[in-house]
Amino acid sequence: MASLVIDNVKKRYGNTSVLKGIDIAIEAGEFLILVGPSGCGKSTLMNAIAGLEDVTEGRILIDDQDVTFSSPKDRDIAMVFQSYALYPNMTVAENIAFGLEMRKVPKTEREQEVQRVAELLQISHLLNRKPSQLSGGQRQRVAMGRALARRPQLYLFDEPLSNLDAKLRVEMRTEIKKLHQKLKTTIVYVTHDQIEAMTLADRIAVMKDGEVQQLGTPQEIYDNPANLFVAGFMGSPAMNFIPAKVIESGNTIMLELTTNTIETPTTINTIETPTRLPFPNAESLQSHIGKEVLLGLRPEMITEPQPHKAGLEFTVNSHVNVDVVEPMGADTMMITRIGNNEVNCRCHPSYNMVVGATCEVMFDTSKAVAFDIESGQRLD
Amino acid sequence: MITKNAPRFTLADWLPKLVMAPTVVVTLVCMYGYMIWTGVLSLTNSRMLPSYDFVGLSQYERLFNNDRWLVALANLGLFGGLFIGICLCLGVILAIFLDQKIRNEGAIRTIYLYPMAISFIVTGTAWKWLLNPTNGLEKMMIDLGFEQFTFDWLVNPDKVVYCLVIAAVWQASGFIMALFLAGLRGVDGDLIKAAQLDGAGTFTTYRRIVLPSLKPVFFSALVILAHIAIKSFDLVAALTNGGPGYSSDLPANFMYAHTFTRSQIGLGSASAIVMLGCVLAILIPYLYSELRGQRHD
Repeated sequence: MASLVIDNVKKRYGNTSVLKGIDIAIEAGEFLILVGPSGCGKSTLMNAIAGLEDVTEGRILIDDQDVTFSSPKDRDIAMVFQSYALYPNMTVAENIAFGLEMRKVPKTEREQEVQRVAELLQISHLLNRKPSQLSGGQRQRVAMGRALARRPQLYLFDEPLSNLDAKLRVEMRTEIKKLHQKLKTTIVYVTHDQIEAMTLADRIAVMKDGEVQQLGTPQEIYDNPANLFVAGFMGSPAMNFIPAKVIESGNTIMLELTTNTIETPTTINTIETPTRLPFPNAESLQSHIGKEVLLGLRPEMITEPQPHKAGLEFTVNSHVNVDVVEPMGADTMMITRIGNNEVNCRCHPSYNMVVGATCEVMFDTSKAVAFDIESGQRLD
Repeated sequence: MITKNAPRFTLADWLPKLVMAPTVVVTLVCMYGYMIWTGVLSLTNSRMLPSYDFVGLSQYERLFNNDRWLVALANLGLFGGLFIGICLCLGVILAIFLDQKIRNEGAIRTIYLYPMAISFIVTGTAWKWLLNPTNGLEKMMIDLGFEQFTFDWLVNPDKVVYCLVIAAVWQASGFIMALFLAGLRGVDGDLIKAAQLDGAGTFTTYRRIVLPSLKPVFFSALVILAHIAIKSFDLVAALTNGGPGYSSDLPANFMYAHTFTRSQIGLGSASAIVMLGCVLAILIPYLYSELRGQRHD
C-alpha cells in the first residue's frame, strides 16, 4: 500500500500535448478513478504511472519515492489490461506465478501464493488451463489474480471491464469493490464508463484534453461539478442544461426559464407566465443579472409534484409539454423541451403523462447549479 | 404467370470448371502420375530406358550400398541441419532487431528479403566467385596485406558443404526474418507491457513470452526450410557442381546424375522415392497439426 503523487506531469509527442500538467495526489488505500472520453489522455497518464511511457516534465512519487525515471519493474506496480494480456503459452497458475518467479520468489512460496489468490478469486479449478480455454469473465479474474499475486504497492486497472458483456460487467464491478474493501489497496482505475467511476471510486479525476477538469469524491463531482463538461459527463441520463435568464425579483435573484408556449387542442395559445425558479447561493449570480445562463438540474430534480416537498423554499410547480415518455421500471423518464434544449424529468411510473399533452412537474432547485453560457464554467 | 426455368448450362456456370480443368489435369498427370511412375520404376531394373522387369527392392539395396549416395545423405544431414538452424536463428534475431521501431525499416526489410527474389542458380554463381580462392575473398584479403590468409573451403572436400550452407543461408534467412516479423507484429503489445511490469527483462520477455507465442511461425518456417534443403539441386549445380569429386553432392544431384546422365533410371528412381519419403516425413506431421489446430480454435 502506498500513496501516489502526480506532480505537474506533462507529456508531449512532438508538438501535440497529450498531458498538460496533471496534479493528483491520493492517499494509501484510496481508489482513484480516471474518467473521461476517449483521447483525453487517461491511458497515457496510466502508462506514465506504470513507467511504460516517459513523461516530458513533472514528477511521479509512489510512497514518497521519486519514481519518475525508474523502470516499470522497479516501481512495484501491477496492472490489469483491457485485453487482459494473459501469457498465451502459460497455464493460469504459471501466469499468476510469473511475476513472483521474475522476482526470484522460491517455488514453494510461489505455489502458496497462487493458491491464496486462486481461492480469493474462486479460480482454483482453472489453474491448469491455458488462457485460450477460458471465458471472458474467467480471463478477467486471472488477470486480476496475476496483479494480486505480487502484492504490489499500487494497482493499475486499464478499462478492465470493457470487454465483458453488460451483466458480467456489473458483477465484476461489485467484485472489484468488494476486493478493494477487503484488501484496502491503492488502486488507479481508468474507465470511460461514468457509472463504473461513480460506483467504485473514493475519488474521481474527470479528464478532458489532457487536463484534469475536476478531482473529487463521486458525490462532490455529482452534486458540485466544476464546469459544464463534468456536469454533462457524469450521471445517466445526463444533467439537464436549461437556458435561463437571471432576474431580480423583489430583493431576491431568480432564474426565469424561456417562455414555453403550451399548445393543446383545448386551450389555444395559452401563454403562461414564465416560470421563475429560486436559486440557492443566488448572490453569486449578482454580476449576471439580465444575462442568460445555463441552469444545471439533474433529472431527478424535475419530478411529478410531490406533496411532501410542496411549499419548500426551492420547489416550484410548472406545466410542460410531454414529448416522449420512456418507462424504465423504477422510474419513467419524461422528455420535454425548454427553450431549445431537451429536458429529462424523472417521474414516478404511476404518474399520468400523455404524449402531446401538458403535465405539471415540480422543479426542485435546492441542488441546482449555474454555468456561464460562453465559458462553461460554474458561476455559483 | 409461370416462367419455366429449364436448367440451362450457361458459360458462366462452366467457366470456373473449364479454367480449373487444365491445372487439375496437369497436377494429376505430372505430379501424382509421375510420382507413381517413379515409384514403379524404382522397383525395376531400368537403366537407360524404362523397363518393367521387376526386381523388388534390390535398387534400394544397391542405393544404400552406394558410397556416393551415403555421402549425399550425410551432406544433406549436415547441410540441412546447419541451414535450418542458422536460418531460424538469424531470422529471429533480425526480426527482433527490425521490430524495435527503427527508421527506414521498409528499406532494410527489402534489402534482407531481396535474395529470396533471385534464383539459386544466381546465388550459386555469385557465391562461387566470392568463395573462389584465386579471385574471391581469399585474394582480396591477401591483396589487403594478410599474406597468410587462406579460405579454401570451396575446393576443400571436408569443408565444401559449409559453402553451400553460407550461400543458402544468405538467400533464405531474409525470408525467415519476414515470416517472424509478421508474427512479431501480431503479438499483443499489452503482453510485453505486462511482462515488463512483472519484472521480466527484454531477453526474458522474448524467451518466455514472445517467442513461445510464435510457435506456429517456427513450425511453418521449419517446414519451408526443410523442404528447400531436401530439394536443393540448383545451388549445388551452380556453386560446386557436386565437387570436388562428389564431396558436395546432395540427394537431388545424385538422383539427377544417375537418372539422366549415367543411365541408371532404376537407381535414380529409388533415390527420388527416398527423398519423397523425407519430404512426407516432415509434411504429414505438419499437416496433421495444422488441421488439428483448426479444429480446436
